Amino acid sequence: MTEYDIDVAVIGAGPAGLAAAVSAKENGAKKVTVIDRNNWLGGILSQCIHDGFGVEETGSSMTGPEYANMYIEMAKKQDVSFLDETMVLGFDKNRLITAVNKNGNHKIKAKSIVLAMGCREKTRWNIMIPGNRPSGIFTAGVAQAFINLYNIIPGKNIVILGSGDVGLIMARRLKFEGANVLGVVEILPYASGLPRNVVQCLDDYDIPLFLNHTVTFIEGKDRLESVTIAKVDKNRNVINGSEKKIKCDTLLLSLGLIPENELSNNVGIKIHEVTGGPVVNQFLETTIPSVFACGNCLQVYDTVDVLSIDAKIAGKNAAEKTISKKKKSIKTIPGKNVRYVVPQIVDQPGKTHISLRVEKPGESTKLHVISDGNEIFSKKLPWINPANMVEFNVDIQDIVLDKGHDLEVYLDG
Amino acid sequence: MKNFHVGIIGGGVVGSAIAWELSKYDISVAVFEKGSDVASGTSKANSGVIHSGINSATGSLKAKFCVEGNKMFPSIANQLGFSIKWVGKYVIAKNQGEVKELERLKKIGEDNGTPNLNIVDGAKVNEPNVSCHSALWVPTAAIALPYEFNIALAENAVINNVKFLLENNVTNLKKTNDGFLIKTNKGEYQSKILINSTGLNCRNIVSMLEEPDFQVYPCRGEYLVLDKKYGSLVKSMIYPVPDKELGVLGVHITPTIEGNLLFGPSAEFIIDENDKKTTKEMMKTLLVEAKDIVAKIPENAVINAYSGVRCKLASAEEGGWADYRIEESKQTPGLINLLGIESPGLTAAPAIAKYVTKMVSKRVELDKKNDFKTVKVFGKRFNEMTSAQQAYLIKKDKRWGRIVCRCEHITEAEIIKALSNPLGAKTLSSVKYRCRAGMGRCQGGFCTQHIIRIMEKQFKLDPKDINLKSPASYLFTSRTREVKK
Amino acid sequence: MAKKEITCIVCPIGCKILVKTDGSKFEALDGFRCKRGVEYAKSEALDPRRMLTTSVLVIDGKWPLVSVKSSKPVPKDKLFSVLSEIKKADVKAPVKLGQVVIKNVAKTGINIIATKEVNK
Repeated sequence: MTEYDIDVAVIGAGPAGLAAAVSAKENGAKKVTVIDRNNWLGGILSQCIHDGFGVEETGSSMTGPEYANMYIEMAKKQDVSFLDETMVLGFDKNRLITAVNKNGNHKIKAKSIVLAMGCREKTRWNIMIPGNRPSGIFTAGVAQAFINLYNIIPGKNIVILGSGDVGLIMARRLKFEGANVLGVVEILPYASGLPRNVVQCLDDYDIPLFLNHTVTFIEGKDRLESVTIAKVDKNRNVINGSEKKIKCDTLLLSLGLIPENELSNNVGIKIHEVTGGPVVNQFLETTIPSVFACGNCLQVYDTVDVLSIDAKIAGKNAAEKTISKKKKSIKTIPGKNVRYVVPQIVDQPGKTHISLRVEKPGESTKLHVISDGNEIFSKKLPWINPANMVEFNVDIQDIVLDKGHDLEVYLDG
Repeated sequence: MKNFHVGIIGGGVVGSAIAWELSKYDISVAVFEKGSDVASGTSKANSGVIHSGINSATGSLKAKFCVEGNKMFPSIANQLGFSIKWVGKYVIAKNQGEVKELERLKKIGEDNGTPNLNIVDGAKVNEPNVSCHSALWVPTAAIALPYEFNIALAENAVINNVKFLLENNVTNLKKTNDGFLIKTNKGEYQSKILINSTGLNCRNIVSMLEEPDFQVYPCRGEYLVLDKKYGSLVKSMIYPVPDKELGVLGVHITPTIEGNLLFGPSAEFIIDENDKKTTKEMMKTLLVEAKDIVAKIPENAVINAYSGVRCKLASAEEGGWADYRIEESKQTPGLINLLGIESPGLTAAPAIAKYVTKMVSKRVELDKKNDFKTVKVFGKRFNEMTSAQQAYLIKKDKRWGRIVCRCEHITEAEIIKALSNPLGAKTLSSVKYRCRAGMGRCQGGFCTQHIIRIMEKQFKLDPKDINLKSPASYLFTSRTREVKK
Repeated sequence: MAKKEITCIVCPIGCKILVKTDGSKFEALDGFRCKRGVEYAKSEALDPRRMLTTSVLVIDGKWPLVSVKSSKPVPKDKLFSVLSEIKKADVKAPVKLGQVVIKNVAKTGINIIATKEVNK
């Protein structure tokens, strides 16, 4: 049993954990340790070999591994220590972490913890696609790991379900590796990934995009033999008679991401129903004092740039030794066309970073933040889309908290 | 060796139970299994219930073997090291009208020798999430993992010199003077006695030697598996009063050994016994019917779905119920057929094995081995050990310290043990069923890549040769970049 | 001159810009909302290029592949011949981030650069 006594323990060395660790150090924390279950640092970025990372943050478009490396170098320069190939088994309300690796069990006493466990992918059974259970069905992220890290191609004739960025990127990746990409199937009337990816991953290679479609049946005795796709109406119900069988040997599922909060659940941290991540305040502190959350385990982000902004906030606050006594606590209430708002709680005045997702796409609309009938912030939005997070900073005055009214966040139109 | 005293066709739970029982004697036994591992068919795709005997007609073999088998489980589970939990079962009556049914089942159980049956008032049912008028409490019903039981039997048989010939599909059988000539896709073998425990395939095997005097009516049952989050909604099995018309048990709620919740099975007569699909209609029905019993179940609770096919000897029109037929063929002496082994097949397996062994003893001299070994196949998992035990193991072998399956905390050492099984099974599923890696809520999203890498690096398997479960269920087609020699 | 529709990728609105071009002359006809879009459509019409990211085989490394990128965007019509050359290449470990793995790939004047480190 090895025991550690540290200031900030970061669980997860993906982009969120790395940025949080660097920020913790920059804000005065002495001993900062990042714990990761893999034998590499950078988390999921290691397999995201495409570019597009860090454009807003740095001005240049990096590949995933390059972006990860940027933060790893910063962390090493700042003397952040790492426990890799180490699995956190759990932690308690007093922030005592139990972990295990090849050197044995470890008990890590931390003054604060930053949760950065990332997310997992939705599986076939989360949306209950009926049919047989052949081999050849992979979630897009797993297929990506095999192709890019392990030098293994999963199949030759590919259908991809879900037009989020992961699915689109994989369409191009497989095309590059000589596979026959038969199409991307999307239940919505529009692609959920960035237009840039639709153009550069599908249009460029004449890969068909079946909008308003879903997979209704999977067939195959041993290996996948075909999928049946069908058109859906505006209520997402299958239109009978529109079924079409596509012969294929591989189905990639890009159905969406679920924040990974096993550790948070086990210790009783309150999880938000809509985000799937911990309920947090403006410091990204969870319902357990001095335990913070950031990255995809807090909410699923679209870009690593925005994710890093929040991760740095979490790291900074994990490092601050004194957190001023809390004033009245108010909630952020998602209003018209707003699906959720992070943070869910505000209990300190000051510059507050807010991120939210809208329910329905639209154009030329305005965002409002209201406290007790008074508008404290507004922003014109030329376009909005559920697939694109809206984020901004609001200066929350003392008086807003003193009044004790919840903040309404809504969109016009 | 190509000559055996006994050839068993089928490595399911019954074939493996017979193999284990016979391995106690000084004879040579071979099991021909067409799958890449044991428990490839119906033996893994069921509810995992050790039945009490209340559902089998008094005087039937089903009832006899169920009650006998049930009594043997505490000892066998302890010897072979597989998990079993005596959670008991409530058969619930939603209203006064259904109470008659509870009384009928109680009487059948008592006549069959099922102990301690008791009808209790709804208020006394110890299940806070289930409301009912009254219920029949069945304390001798238990849950196990059917594949664990099957694997434990088979691996113990192998350790006692039974030859398990995996990926051997019997293509031809000939009766000879001495016994039988068995042709598979991999070779030719001989045996004195042939045991047909092929489940759904039983008629095909019989027809290789004689004209079958029966039909097989496959009846598919679909299941839903729920996230462990909902595992504590019930403590015991909850069965609604059975639909007599179909001769099946109906849609149940069964807690599992691992803490999940199982809904099912449904019952649908089908034409092709290999049609193991799950259907949208049935998955919806299972959720709806389950909500009738336990209200608190949300839609997104499902983490897996599967179906198993029952080998029935009676059609739907005939009422769907027929007794087991376990008999030596009159036409083909030496051929012992096990026909129509459906529920309570798992429970009956050890009792059937003893019965079949007696039949074998009439043709072959059975001397007990004095070096018969018993091995507990499933030991304590890493995540069930104390930190002291964990530390000790990690010191002995570092690979106990590397956790590969994130959801269930399964270590590299356990995965390697699973891949080193005495049967020689090396599919992704054979790992899953032995150490549980891949069965958590992420369904292999994290661990699959690591398991494949272990198979590649430590077991020198070519990824192109790695299958998911059956011999033709390849996972990968090529390399991203070929390594030049 | 032929008319064609180009989907702009500069911002998530994704305007469908109608242009007239013969590969050397260019005119934006309709569908654009801003200057950036017109500039993008012009470069797409006259000289479409793509940043290329893929993998190269590693010999004797801890990992079998190293992720790579093109040092500059590659002309669209050369993409597959570049990929074809990359597929035949290999590099010996250790590989350093930023290391030139292939020089002047497919005679494009563009290099293929490692985007991560792979140790022995």
